[in-house]
Amino acid sequence: MQDLASGILLDAVRGMHWPARRVTRGAYQGGHRSRRVGSSPEFMQYREYRQGDEPSKIDWKLVARTGRVAVRQTHDDSNFRTSILLDASASMAFPPTTLDKWNLAAAVAFGLCAVAQGDRDPVGIAVASGGELQILPPRARMSTAANVLGLLSNTTPSGSRPLAPVLAMLRTSNRIAIVSDFLGDADALLEMAKEMVASGREVFAVHVVSRAELAPRDIGSLVVDPEEDTIRRPLDDSGVAEYQAAFTRWREELAAAWRAAGAVYHLAIDDDPADRVIRQVVTPTATSAVSPAAS
Amino acid sequence: MVAGGMIAAAVVALHFIVTREPRTVPLPTARFAPARPVRARARKIRLQDLLLLLLRVLLILAVGAALAEPVLDPPHRDLARIVVVDRSRAIADAAEVADSARALLGDGDALVLFDSTVVVARDGGRDSLAALVRSPNRGQLSPALIAALRTASDMREMADSFELAIISPLVAEQADLATDSIRALWPGAVRLVPVAASAANAAPAVVAIDAAADDPLRLSLSGLRSNSDTAASTVLIVRGALDAADSAWATGGPRALVHWPATHATAAGAPGLSAPWAARADRDTVGAVSAGSAVVVAPFERWAAYGSADASDTPARVVARWADGEPAAVETALGAGCVRTVAVGVPSVGDLVLHPRFARLAAALTEPCGGRTNAVVMDSVRLAALSGPTSGGYAPSSAFAPPETVRSPLVPWLLAAALLFGIAALLLQRRVSDAAVSVRGVESA
Repeated sequence: MQDLASGILLDAVRGMHWPARRVTRGAYQGGHRSRRVGSSPEFMQYREYRQGDEPSKIDWKLVARTGRVAVRQTHDDSNFRTSILLDASASMAFPPTTLDKWNLAAAVAFGLCAVAQGDRDPVGIAVASGGELQILPPRARMSTAANVLGLLSNTTPSGSRPLAPVLAMLRTSNRIAIVSDFLGDADALLEMAKEMVASGREVFAVHVVSRAELAPRDIGSLVVDPEEDTIRRPLDDSGVAEYQAAFTRWREELAAAWRAAGAVYHLAIDDDPADRVIRQVVTPTATSAVSPAAS
Repeated sequence: MVAGGMIAAAVVALHFIVTREPRTVPLPTARFAPARPVRARARKIRLQDLLLLLLRVLLILAVGAALAEPVLDPPHRDLARIVVVDRSRAIADAAEVADSARALLGDGDALVLFDSTVVVARDGGRDSLAALVRSPNRGQLSPALIAALRTASDMREMADSFELAIISPLVAEQADLATDSIRALWPGAVRLVPVAASAANAAPAVVAIDAAADDPLRLSLSGLRSNSDTAASTVLIVRGALDAADSAWATGGPRALVHWPATHATAAGAPGLSAPWAARADRDTVGAVSAGSAVVVAPFERWAAYGSADASDTPARVVARWADGEPAAVETALGAGCVRTVAVGVPSVGDLVLHPRFARLAAALTEPCGGRTNAVVMDSVRLAALSGPTSGGYAPSSAFAPPETVRSPLVPWLLAAALLFGIAALLLQRRVSDAAVSVRGVESA
């Protein structure tokens, strides 16, 4: 959190844009192309003049060339309500000594909020930990980033909470980014995301994984799930290969399922720079493939 | 001791029973690890481990034994003897007393030497008898009897019965009001071994004085002779500085030369006071002085201090003390006589010197050498009471209360052994750890 407050990340994401992947129905003027016909300089089409149209919209040059009276229609700009769903369960507090996984997730969430705010989009965040659910509704005011930073600074990942009900609470947003390790109610969350996508919302899945999860270091130890202490399994040399194979297979299946649902999936390793992860998420051409570093 | 044994047994049991569970670490993706039964990896027991275990058990046992304060049963006898030996001024010959004591004292018996103080010798009593000398102090039987009772209590596990023997002239001055009561606490007869008493010195002193005509001390003492009439005197009071004639007079017979300076106003202090007497750096006023049974309460100015005597100094007897215990008058032997130095001022103002209590003090300070002794042997009634019934026999050990605290001589040895075991265990543990590290280093290389 200290790095977030220093402003280094804000400097790194300054100038980034997070455009909508399709036209929107936003009610207020913003940075995204709207389905409405508006007054932006960007030309859309001509339409034959009807009674009641403003005379100023008539393209008099066209009248002079063709003799037909037509009005010039342009695109309208709209805003895009954006919400970030940040997983703050106990599994995110890993490795226990450095909390790299949580730090990257928080940085990505904060950076996405900053980018959306830069696009004049109302942005909010929901932080789901085992203790309490903290929600900042989408706002377009300039203090939003500071509020998000304060919320993240006071959050310690702990406990366990299903994310699907929280995602359902964010229906009012046009765009939702889920930053999680998807080790909780992954199936229910995916089903809810499918509904969101089907209703025209954009869903981004940022899958945060720790390097120590990809290649466990404590060989010969008894590994315990921090959210489910009944899962206690020995991890020796022979078991590591099986573990890595199962984990890789699960990640691939997870990525495929989210992509099939119409969401944008991105894998982030906890030693990746946060600004690079954010750039890949907000760039429309971002690959949704599993990160090479993870394979 | 039992607790120490139980703890040691628990340590041994834990050493063999406890297995070390693998280290537990959190891993959010633990569900992807293959589900296998958890197996504990036991270490192979090595010789060093057993040695370490042995040292630790010995350490615990030694500490437990030290805390239990074990006492070894002493050799038991049918009869033990407690010999009370008089070394006070009442005895005529110390060698005679020592011979009588040796005749009674056997191995394991206890020796109690007494005059005005008491010394108990449980071991090495014969050495104490070899060094026995006559003390100038009055003997007191009551403290000696109390010491005998305590010694019997300490020795009650060593014998079935005790015999108490008192080797003494048994003169009247050695008994006091408490003697009979204390004697009654001894649950048996007392064997009395009388020895020769020193000559009686109960004759009143004939005092001469060498002082000014208006010396106030003359008012306190009656029948004073002049310093020119010292031939028939036994005590000479000199209120000025001593000279060679005075010393020669005291050396020539059993005479007491009392040096009682009349003035102390000189810068060097009182005239004629020799070491270890010295002028006080800060003169003060003390409230009372006592000599024997005479006590005078008055604001005496204290102008001289009796320093610590060197080993080469002649043994001295304190004749009078100030209220705080500091010597006020001291007597030292000089040939056949003695010199008594008195650092008590005689007030020239007021009527204190006329009071009977000051007269008693002056009389006590002008007694013959060694003080007035009463060498009269106790009467038959008191001797019978002291001896007790002849049919009483020995005192059974069960009649004595056990001592309140029993000091075990084994405790320091056990603690030292525990310390050694602890150090050895630490060294062995460090050696085992170093060996393990080196083996790990070789494996990693």
